[in-house]
This record gives sequence, C-alpha cells and structure tokens, in this order.
Amino acid sequence: MSLPLNIDLQQILLHMLNFVLLFGGLYFILYKPVKKFMDGRASRYAEKEEETERRLREAEEAKAEYEDKLRNAESEIAAMKSEAAAQAAADAEAERERALADAEGIRRSAEAEADAEKQRLLRQANREISELAAQAAQKAVYGSAEEAFDSFLDRAERSDGE
Amino acid sequence: MSKKQRNISLAVFLGLIALLLVGIFLTKGAPKTETVTETMRDTVLHEAARINLFGITVNPALISAFCVTGILLLAALLLRIFAVPKFKDRPGRLQLLLEQGVGLFDGLAHENGARKTRFLSAYIFTAGAYIFFGTLFELLGFQAVTTAGASVSLPAPLADINGAISLGVLSYSVILFGGLFAAGPKGAGRALKDISLPISMSFRLFGALLSGAIVTELVYYYFSLSFVIPVIVGVLFTLLHAVIQAYVLTMLTAHFYEESTEKKPKKAKTE
Repeated sequence: MSLPLNIDLQQILLHMLNFVLLFGGLYFILYKPVKKFMDGRASRYAEKEEETERRLREAEEAKAEYEDKLRNAESEIAAMKSEAAAQAAADAEAERERALADAEGIRRSAEAEADAEKQRLLRQANREISELAAQAAQKAVYGSAEEAFDSFLDRAERSDGE
Repeated sequence: MSKKQRNISLAVFLGLIALLLVGIFLTKGAPKTETVTETMRDTVLHEAARINLFGITVNPALISAFCVTGILLLAALLLRIFAVPKFKDRPGRLQLLLEQGVGLFDGLAHENGARKTRFLSAYIFTAGAYIFFGTLFELLGFQAVTTAGASVSLPAPLADINGAISLGVLSYSVILFGGLFAAGPKGAGRALKDISLPISMSFRLFGALLSGAIVTELVYYYFSLSFVIPVIVGVLFTLLHAVIQAYVLTMLTAHFYEESTEKKPKKAKTE
C-alpha cells in the first residue's frame, strides 16, 4: 500500500529502532550516572541542611534556657540576700543573748566572790577582835585595866571603820 | 598595529572581496539540473534522492538519524569515561553543562507534579538531545551518495516525515503507557481521548523542521540570495528552531504525560 507524502512504515520502524537505541545508550551511559551524582549530592546537602537546622534549633533552645536562668537569677539572688540577712540577724541575737548570759554569770560570780570576801573579812575581824580581847584581858591582868580598855575600844572602832 | 598598517590590511581585505565578486559574476555558474519545484518537492518528499542502506532503499534522513545517534553515543561514552568520574560537588564548566542538560529535562518532567517521572525525564532528555543535535546536524553538510549516483547533503533526521512520525508515535506511547502504569486504565483512557496527539505531534515537528529546510533550500537555490544571507538563515535559523522544537516536543510530552498519570480525587457522594 502506497502512503502519501512518501510515508514508509519500514522507515518509521527503522527510525524508532534508531531512537530506542539512542535512548538506551544515553540513559545507561550518560543520564543515569549524572542523575545519580546529582541526587547523591542533593541528598548530602539535604542531610547537612537538616543537621544545621537541628543544631540551630538546639542552640536557640539553649539560649532560651540561659535567658530564663538569667531572669530567675535576680530573684534567686534577692532570696539569698534576705535569707543571709535573716541568718545574720539570728546570729546577732544569739550572740547578744550569749553575751547577756555571760555578763549575768560574771555578775553572779562577782557577787559570790564579794560575799566570800565579806565573810572572810568578818571572820578575820572576829578573829582579830578575839585576839584583841585576849590581849586586853592579858593587859588587864598584867597592866592598867584602863589603858587596856581604851586600847581595846580604839581597835574596835578601827575595825568597824574598815 | 599602526594606523597605516591597519588601513593597508583593510584595503587588501576589501580588494580581495571585490575581486572575488567580479570573478563570481563574470564566470558562468553550473547549469541547474532541476527546477525550483523539483527541488522543493525533493526537499519535502525525498522521492528522487534515495540511499541504499544494506539493501534497503531509504531516505537520506534515516542515514542522518543513524549518524546523529552514533555521534551522540560516542560523545556520551567519552563523557562517561573522561568527565563523569571527575565530577565534583562544585562543578566545572563541562560538568555544569551536563548537569544543566539533565536538570532541565528532569525539572520539566517534575514541574507539573506528574507521577512516576523517572522514565519520562530520561525519555525527554533523549528526545530533546536528539531533536537539538539532529537539527544542528544539517549544518555539517555531510554528503552521501544516492542510488542514482549523485551526491546529496544529509538533512536533519526529523525533516523526513517518517522520522517525525516515529518520534510522535513514541512520545504518544510514552504518554499512553505512562498513564496505564501510573493511573491504571483511567490514565490510559485519558491518553486515548487524545488520539489525534501522535498525528499532531508528528506533523508539528515535521512542519517546523521542513519549513526551515524549505527556506534554506530557497535561499541556496537563487543566486542573488547566496551571499551573506545563508549565514543568517543557515546557522541562526537552524539554531533557533533546534532549540524551539526540542523544547516544544519535550514540553508537550511532559504536559500530556502529567495529564494521563494524575490521579484525580474521588468525588464525595452527595446525598
């Protein structure tokens, strides 16, 4: 069958064969390796981008966390200051009470010492009076009774004055 | 170069051109063996200039097609051996050119959201390269011997209706079977609705390339048009319609492929 425009089925099939050969050859020799390289590079870049985004996200989270901590630090410092002031006040009160207790102890000790000294002096005075009485009695026996009596009175007055 | 030397060079150049023009107009050109009608008819139908290919009488465009395929495969092989193994993440000029070529057709296959595009992108890459380099092939002016013993300049492979039909039918087959594999019988049905597609694609390609060939033949046929104009018509027009036709066929194939492979969402039942 003769077709118009010199259309020839055999030549169409030959052209098709030629194109299919070209397609197969170009695909395996050139297209596939170039596409494989491009896809590999694109996937490597995508991984790098993903990694960068992940790190950026982590850095932003850390920054937010630090900023939060910074904001809380001021209130923490104020709390610590007030706690330290309260502690200092408590320490000062305890020290004052301890000083008062010490002073009371010193005062009591001094009073006890004073009492003991008084008793000692009284005992000493009594002893001296006894001694004077004994001496007076001795003088009365051995000397003028009047002189001995005067001497006794003088000594007794002196000891009262002390 | 001094001003005097430049003037002498210019005068020699212009004198040479004048001498050549005088020689051309004074000498008789070779007698025309065929009329313009016969030339045009042969350009379109290739009835007179036939070539014997292993016992089969074929049009010269088929020889061109095999030559283009051979050249492209050889170039691809050389690139595969010497260029591709040296590819780097930061590409050089040749690598950039190859990546642009592959990326252009891959992008064309993907830009409409078609499915199963791996085969399509490889197909339109090959078709684009074949049309572009096949059209440029006619500029090389390779000669072949016809069955009548005359010499004929090999045309572009697709300036032959048989070449254009083969590419149109192959493109339609890709669209049809792509639709069948990606979207099932509905996809194939959508491709079958455009049954005129292989004819329109074939004749669009043939008409575009043939119009270029006819204009070029006319320019070369008439003596008065044979100076300067062939440079513009032969080279620039060929380059221009090589790019345009490569783009048009690949773009149309990608577009119709996308239409046949898309899965349309099921319509919600209305009560």
